Amino acid sequence: MTQPQIFDRGYRRFEGPRTGKSGAFKSLVIYSVRSSLGLGRAARHKLFPAAVIVFAFVPAVVFIGVAALLPDELVTQEELLPTYSEYYNFVIADIFLFAGFVAPELLCTDRRTSMLGVYLASPLSRTSYVLGKAVSTLLMVLTVTLGPPLLFLIARSLQNLGPDGFGDWIATFGRIVLSSIIIGSVYSAIALVASSMTDRRAVASAATLLTIPGSAVITDLLVVDANFTPHLRLLNLLYLPRALVFRVFGETSEGWPRAENPTASLWLAWIAVVGLSAFVVWFRYQRLLVRR
Amino acid sequence: MSSLVSARGVQKRYGSFSVLNSVDFEIERGITGLLGANGTGKTTLLGMILGLHRTDGGTLEVLGIDPWHAGHEVRALLGYAPEHHVLPPDVKAADFVRHVAELHGLPRADATVRASDALWLVGLGEERFRPMGTMSTGQRQRVKLAQAIAHDPQLVLLDEPTDGLDPLQRDNMLDLIKSVSSEYGIDIILSSHLLDEVERVCDSAVIIGDGQTIASGTLDQLRTQVGGGTRVELDANDDQVELIANTLRSDYTVSVERRWLTIGGAPDEVGSRVLELCDQARIGVIRYGPTRRSLEEVYLGESA
Repeated sequence: MTQPQIFDRGYRRFEGPRTGKSGAFKSLVIYSVRSSLGLGRAARHKLFPAAVIVFAFVPAVVFIGVAALLPDELVTQEELLPTYSEYYNFVIADIFLFAGFVAPELLCTDRRTSMLGVYLASPLSRTSYVLGKAVSTLLMVLTVTLGPPLLFLIARSLQNLGPDGFGDWIATFGRIVLSSIIIGSVYSAIALVASSMTDRRAVASAATLLTIPGSAVITDLLVVDANFTPHLRLLNLLYLPRALVFRVFGETSEGWPRAENPTASLWLAWIAVVGLSAFVVWFRYQRLLVRR
Repeated sequence: MSSLVSARGVQKRYGSFSVLNSVDFEIERGITGLLGANGTGKTTLLGMILGLHRTDGGTLEVLGIDPWHAGHEVRALLGYAPEHHVLPPDVKAADFVRHVAELHGLPRADATVRASDALWLVGLGEERFRPMGTMSTGQRQRVKLAQAIAHDPQLVLLDEPTDGLDPLQRDNMLDLIKSVSSEYGIDIILSSHLLDEVERVCDSAVIIGDGQTIASGTLDQLRTQVGGGTRVELDANDDQVELIANTLRSDYTVSVERRWLTIGGAPDEVGSRVLELCDQARIGVIRYGPTRRSLEEVYLGESA
């Protein structure tokens, strides 16, 4: 015979274990990622992130289809498939568009609502809050920088077009991961800086989307038309991460991106862009007066 | 037990502008009202209690901890409901409250259950899966209270919790705050510029003005501690009351309101004099005690 049970529900004191600062940080990241994907929100909030993620995968799917439908010899001889570093040329706009959407969604919204005050009233510090938001932004951007090349790698491997042997496969996998972090971190950093300067998401997105191609136009004008030093091209935010990715894969393209800048200077410029952006965002939030 | 919050000579400046000059108070258990006009530094003081602003002078202890140097420890023990009610409009109340509970260290499963329980407690059980943007101001204020208590804090800071509410909603919110404290033993600091709501729900109050503590203590203490006089009800006709009043006026300030005399001066001294006069005139004394002032009178009288 089943024993009757009384379920005593209702608000009461909590005696269980607490997860501390690490739990708060984890919760911040999970909530932020869910929020920027539109999960737990109305359908319209899911549309844009879903569309951007799908678009990032489209070239990979097309190339996989080409490789599957055409004979292997034709695919190899005609070089119908792009290299992994070349793949980013097809999706670079998609990537910085996504960064320009995610970072404002995560930072500006908290400042426009009372959420920033709620976060800072929790065990999170200003530094851990900013770090959590940066990690969330990078994780989101990685879905479009890491996902498609990984799918491309797996598909190529299944069709015997990929790296030969386990060692090469792992090396290629590592280069893809590193490349996606290089590209993702630059665009996340720029978007976070823009988002830390304004409460308005549209302004932050617009600033991000103008800054990245704008840097390319200005540096190209200075270097190509005005014959300034090619080192200025290190400030070209379209060129810098992709040039570095080419070096990661050991490719020195004769065409774009140009090979004028030494690899060390590319690494230094990347560290400077990401590091300076991180400092600006951190400093801005240390000084921010929370009024809500 | 030591005070929940102890402030001694606390100062705060923003550049050359001094917000708090010297604030001293002890906050004990129960509901404490933090009173002051807008711009007197109440929210700044709450920020300092949360460890978000450094003191520029004096010492501040919250639950025995220096909040500036151990902010995360203090904040894990506190609940906070901000003044503004612009919460993320498209987030469901249950998701929001659960997230805040997780931020304060509750494991996800516990946070989910407690978010639901807290929302039921504040009367939003049936509404907990609604996006907050579709809720009324009163409901959003309740959500803020729920998120402040869901993780079972030792002390809850409520910044203007009745802001934007109509009189009926305000009464309901104040009843809710009182019951949260009395039924679950949660201590509350309620920041407000509305004196009547502090008088209604609080056990004690800290009154801030001109960057200083104007008065602090239990409401009974506050009503009698400053400028207190003696109030006497006589069993006499108007002429007899006037006679006693005129006799007392040679030594004290006296006001008359029907059979009531309000006499300035120390209650013990006044009391013996009044009893002596009444005995001589064969007049009975119905009631006798210190004058009871509203908190507003204390606040306005002190700050004038």
